[in-house]
Amino acid sequence: MLILRLALRDLFFQKVHLICNIAVLAGVLVPLLVLFGVKNGVYNALIGQLLSNPRSLQIDTSGNTTFTTADAELVRGWPEAGFVTLKTRSQFDFVNVRLDGGRQKRDAILIPSGAGDPNLPEGVQLNASSAAVSAQLAEQLQISTGDRIDVITQAEDRPRQLRVQLAVASVLPPGGVSGRAVLAQIEVLDLVEAFYDAYALPEHGITEGRSFAQRAAVFEGLRVYARGLEDLAPLQNRIEAHFGIRTEARTAEVQGVLNLGRNLNLALLLTASVASLGLAAALVFGFWGEVQRKRQVLASLALMGLGGQRLWLFPLIQALVSAALALIVSFALLGLASLIAEQLFETGLAVGGLVQMTGAQGAVIVVLVMLFVVASSLFAARAALGIDPATVLREGAT
Amino acid sequence: MAYVLSIDDLTVTLGDAERRFTLRAGKWSIAAGEVIGLTGPSGTGKTLLLELLGMLRAPDAGRYRAEPLAGETGAPQAFDSFWKAPNAIALCAQARARFFGFVPQAGGLLPFLTVAENVEISQRIAKRPDPDWASALLGELGLSQIAHLRPGALSIGQRQRVAIARALAHRPFCVIADEPTAALDPENAQAAMGLLIEAAQAGGTATLLSSHDFPTLSHFAMRRMALQITSAPHDPNVVSTLVPLEAQKTASAPQEVSG
Repeated sequence: MLILRLALRDLFFQKVHLICNIAVLAGVLVPLLVLFGVKNGVYNALIGQLLSNPRSLQIDTSGNTTFTTADAELVRGWPEAGFVTLKTRSQFDFVNVRLDGGRQKRDAILIPSGAGDPNLPEGVQLNASSAAVSAQLAEQLQISTGDRIDVITQAEDRPRQLRVQLAVASVLPPGGVSGRAVLAQIEVLDLVEAFYDAYALPEHGITEGRSFAQRAAVFEGLRVYARGLEDLAPLQNRIEAHFGIRTEARTAEVQGVLNLGRNLNLALLLTASVASLGLAAALVFGFWGEVQRKRQVLASLALMGLGGQRLWLFPLIQALVSAALALIVSFALLGLASLIAEQLFETGLAVGGLVQMTGAQGAVIVVLVMLFVVASSLFAARAALGIDPATVLREGAT
Repeated sequence: MAYVLSIDDLTVTLGDAERRFTLRAGKWSIAAGEVIGLTGPSGTGKTLLLELLGMLRAPDAGRYRAEPLAGETGAPQAFDSFWKAPNAIALCAQARARFFGFVPQAGGLLPFLTVAENVEISQRIAKRPDPDWASALLGELGLSQIAHLRPGALSIGQRQRVAIARALAHRPFCVIADEPTAALDPENAQAAMGLLIEAAQAGGTATLLSSHDFPTLSHFAMRRMALQITSAPHDPNVVSTLVPLEAQKTASAPQEVSG
């Protein structure tokens, strides 16, 4: 395409003007990219910290309300809800744990868990005879995955201990559940509670007591995990409204970080908008000035018969190529700026953690900048279309 | 491709209701290989006439046609009707690319291209690539040694020779030269005009050149035509008419029109 080749030849012939246009674009783009990258880095670090702790998504019911499995099923069906489990009375959650065949016992807390529990490592499945143990408990009792453990509990008015043997499906990572804990399905906790409630559990050797069949399946509470941080507050509100109870969650902390993100986005958008206005003015007049300066060149081309309809492409092509080069320079300077920033600031973040941008975000920025530049060059394109080829005859040239 | 270009009462009027300037191009023709020198005082509309003939401005009335010479191939072209078409700008641009070559006063070269590329560009636009002819023109006009240079490194005379080569490179039917020697000293002016006429005639191209430079024009054999003001003095409606120089000699002396 002849007009493309001519536009490029002219663009690279006028290197000073090209450098000026690149500098104008990069001068606005680089600070915005750095701000955007830093916002991403800091915000992602805060969000990452929240998400690394499942308690950020956790909602616990409190009060004297009782729940049934139907209630749990209902909540499980809500779109904001992730993992949902019933809870037994908290005073019966404390048990002793011993490695099968071991001598040492340690007290631990029994936590209801199951498939989808964010406390469990990816892919770990629990059933009625398996459990996951916390890192601290595993370390103190030398427990490894695949071992068997005894979960032991004793009630004052019961002559025998309840001993439930469970296979260790997983040892949780050190950063997971803190303290000594055993994560098991609600059925295990229900068994412990039934033991305290003086029911007979013949399959565990406890024959005295009330018949287990007479027991009503009601639970003291619910533990619910939101699907995401954005779902936490709506889910908490919904649970409280539906059951007429109070709940406990880290909603304020999560909302604080989410609001910070929104405010940072808003501030960035405002900064970018103001910068864009200035840039648009600079580009519109810059491109238009280029056309006026190159009027004789464009008129010469039109005089020779390069169609007027195609002449508008001349400034447009030059604007797009200038923008592409400015983007390359801007992203290179962004990389440099992030290296310098990481050297200057002790953030405690991983390398590349302070200034972050995903490929998709970069691609969107490239497209937006290109569209912005095309829009800014339309005035110049229109001016190019209006150039009278007779200018060369009337005004002289080169 | 040899044509005869015929003009029949081609007229254009500029201005407003209070003050108008009308150019009447009369009835004449120019055939392949012919040279017409167009003269006239300032303000009589020489450049305006060249704009009309170069498909740069629409006439208000009259006929402007190109007919193939007897025995030549090519379709007749009704240039005056191009302006009435919905795609007039594109049609006229095409006509300029195919039928005309232009030598502006100061060359009108593209500063970012070399001499050789400036000459080739008219071939590319007209879609008539002919590197041998472009090279021959560069040689004929003494430009081979400087073919790699850009216009900024050339003297005015050299630039004008490049403009002549460019105007002829795509083998147009007609070269339109507007004061092609105005920026040159007398010696270079005569040489440049000689080269233009010689190269045009060698390529079978008709040449229409406007000039104030009567001494230079007088060195070359050509048909002369002149524009003269034919309206009454102080008439706000100025009329300029193109007449053969012989007719002008018999008419009243041309009047200078300011502005």
